[in-house]
Amino acid sequence: MSDPILSLQDVHKSFGEAHIIRGATLNVMAGERHAVIGPNGAGKSTLFHLCSGQFAPSKGKILLQGNSIGGLKPAEVNRRGLARSFQITNIFPGVSVRENLRLAVMRKHNLQFVFWRSAARLRVVNEEVDELLEKIRLSARGSDLASQLSYSEQRSLEIGMTLASDPKVILLDEPMAGMSHEETDYTSGLIREITQGRTLLIVEHDMSVVFSLAHRISVLVYGEIIATGTPDEIRGNARVKEAYLGEEAA
Amino acid sequence: MKLGPISLAVVVCLLLAMPWLVSGSFLNAAIQMLIAALFAMAFGLLCGRAGMLSFGHAAYFGVGAFAAVHAMNAFGGEGLLPTPLLPLVGAGTGLVSGLVAGYFSTKRTGVYFAMITLALAELLHALAPHMKAMFGGEAGVSSFRMPAWGFSFGSITEVYFLTLAWTLLSIAALYLFSKTPLGSLALGLRENAHRLRFLGYNTHALGTLIFAVSAMFAGIAGALQSLNIEAANYVVLESHISTAVVLNSFIGGVRVFLGPAIGGAVMTFFGHVTSDLTRVWLLYQGIIFVLVMMFMPRGIVGEIVDRFSAPTRAGILRLLGDICLRLGAVAVAAIGAIFLIEFLQRLLSNEYRANVAAAGWPDITLFSMDWSPLSIQPWGFGLGLMAVGIALVVTINRRLAARKEAEA
Repeated sequence: MSDPILSLQDVHKSFGEAHIIRGATLNVMAGERHAVIGPNGAGKSTLFHLCSGQFAPSKGKILLQGNSIGGLKPAEVNRRGLARSFQITNIFPGVSVRENLRLAVMRKHNLQFVFWRSAARLRVVNEEVDELLEKIRLSARGSDLASQLSYSEQRSLEIGMTLASDPKVILLDEPMAGMSHEETDYTSGLIREITQGRTLLIVEHDMSVVFSLAHRISVLVYGEIIATGTPDEIRGNARVKEAYLGEEAA
Repeated sequence: MKLGPISLAVVVCLLLAMPWLVSGSFLNAAIQMLIAALFAMAFGLLCGRAGMLSFGHAAYFGVGAFAAVHAMNAFGGEGLLPTPLLPLVGAGTGLVSGLVAGYFSTKRTGVYFAMITLALAELLHALAPHMKAMFGGEAGVSSFRMPAWGFSFGSITEVYFLTLAWTLLSIAALYLFSKTPLGSLALGLRENAHRLRFLGYNTHALGTLIFAVSAMFAGIAGALQSLNIEAANYVVLESHISTAVVLNSFIGGVRVFLGPAIGGAVMTFFGHVTSDLTRVWLLYQGIIFVLVMMFMPRGIVGEIVDRFSAPTRAGILRLLGDICLRLGAVAVAAIGAIFLIEFLQRLLSNEYRANVAAAGWPDITLFSMDWSPLSIQPWGFGLGLMAVGIALVVTINRRLAARKEAEA
């Protein structure tokens, strides 16, 4: 953990009158699992949208491995090694689980405008799809329609698709939202497994997950990062307690 | 499923034997069916596979048709472009116009996409009458098929085989296309273009390319039509051509591979037969579309594929039994409905109204019988049959649903 792999420097984002992100500064170190927490409406999702290319920042710099990515299109950000999942399950419901992953993997091998080869016979792609299926523990369901998966399985598939481009940085937006305790434990283990050797930036509301999973935590309140530190430091931070954690941490 | 290749071989053999099986006028209809099938398949790639509903596909069909006619006149069916290769001109112009139109229309999705395609097609349709050199004005542009490769292309049989070859080749190409990375990304566009962007794909370029491929095959279909009728007129740019391909594809089943082709062929055949029998055949076509969309939203082929997806011998026999029962009941209702529609059509026609003024309310001859419009018989017969048929359908559906529930 030497240089920041993803760095936000005094980033602002306004929608008309609404000033959502007000000078956020955040450094995510290579190889760490970094969580962003904050009350509802603090701008966590907006922050993710800014990093992944959905929105362009109104002001400030976003650097990925030292190169500016602020304002790039989502596809370009993805190509530079940052992939994300979504708060709302965002998969291809009407095709098979395998096909979902195949679509995700093909991009990595530059298979976009290719119409002279059979998609089903691309050996490298197939192997990677099989690996991913195993990683997200859905090998048995490869030929089922994605829409037939259970909620937590769909979330796993979503994570699998995020992994497909072999990104250096992964953004997971509330991967445990709406899950039962068992499902949360399961997904938490899965995230631990798949982020080996990568950098993770995660937004999550389940504090027990955040504090056990993350190496470092940043607290976002009203569009500003008010504190960054290890779980213990955050627990002990007076400003954080006041602004957000309150009785939850007590 | 082994049934697939076998039934495919049977169908191809039947198509190859067609000229010896049917009369000349039907063979002509068969050519139009093939063209409609190919046009619908081109539309199916865009709408069914990539989820982009175009309301202006007549434009690319028309562009292909006119390009082929002009090429026929320019090359005289010789040199680089002998008659059998003329559809390549349709393919090329379809592809290029598809790239241009696709670039603009795929910048938007859904309703806005549909509106842009409609606007572009209407633009072309409105311009065409003013561009006499290109579109030939009211008279259109005509040409002659020239002999090539030892064929005279003078007989309808030779035209049929030329059309058949191009249609089969094109459908095979479309099938192979659907298996390529670009073809499977079309599915991704339909299912979730937003996600595709975040996976690193250029969705606008993908959409444009798929639009262009679809327009290319529409152009081939248009060129085949020009070859068939040895002319092109700007009526091929009219919106009802665009509408027909939408309706045909949805009736067949836009999301199953051969659905649009079968929809196109069946509805063209239907038009060919019924336009001789009744003046209101378009009304029937509309009713069929509404009924299919209401009760079989996946289309005819979609429904069949869905029901026979996991076949066992006993299951198939029972399914066929169920289908026969339902068809029987529907037929009863259909006879009633047809009777009523035809009766009303005659009653409301101008000739009859003239008769009413002259001679009161004369009898109307229908189904080889005379019916008085003032008596209860015709109304009772029509409405009664319809009611009986619908009651039968409802009863059968309830019985089958109850059986299903008992088994579950």
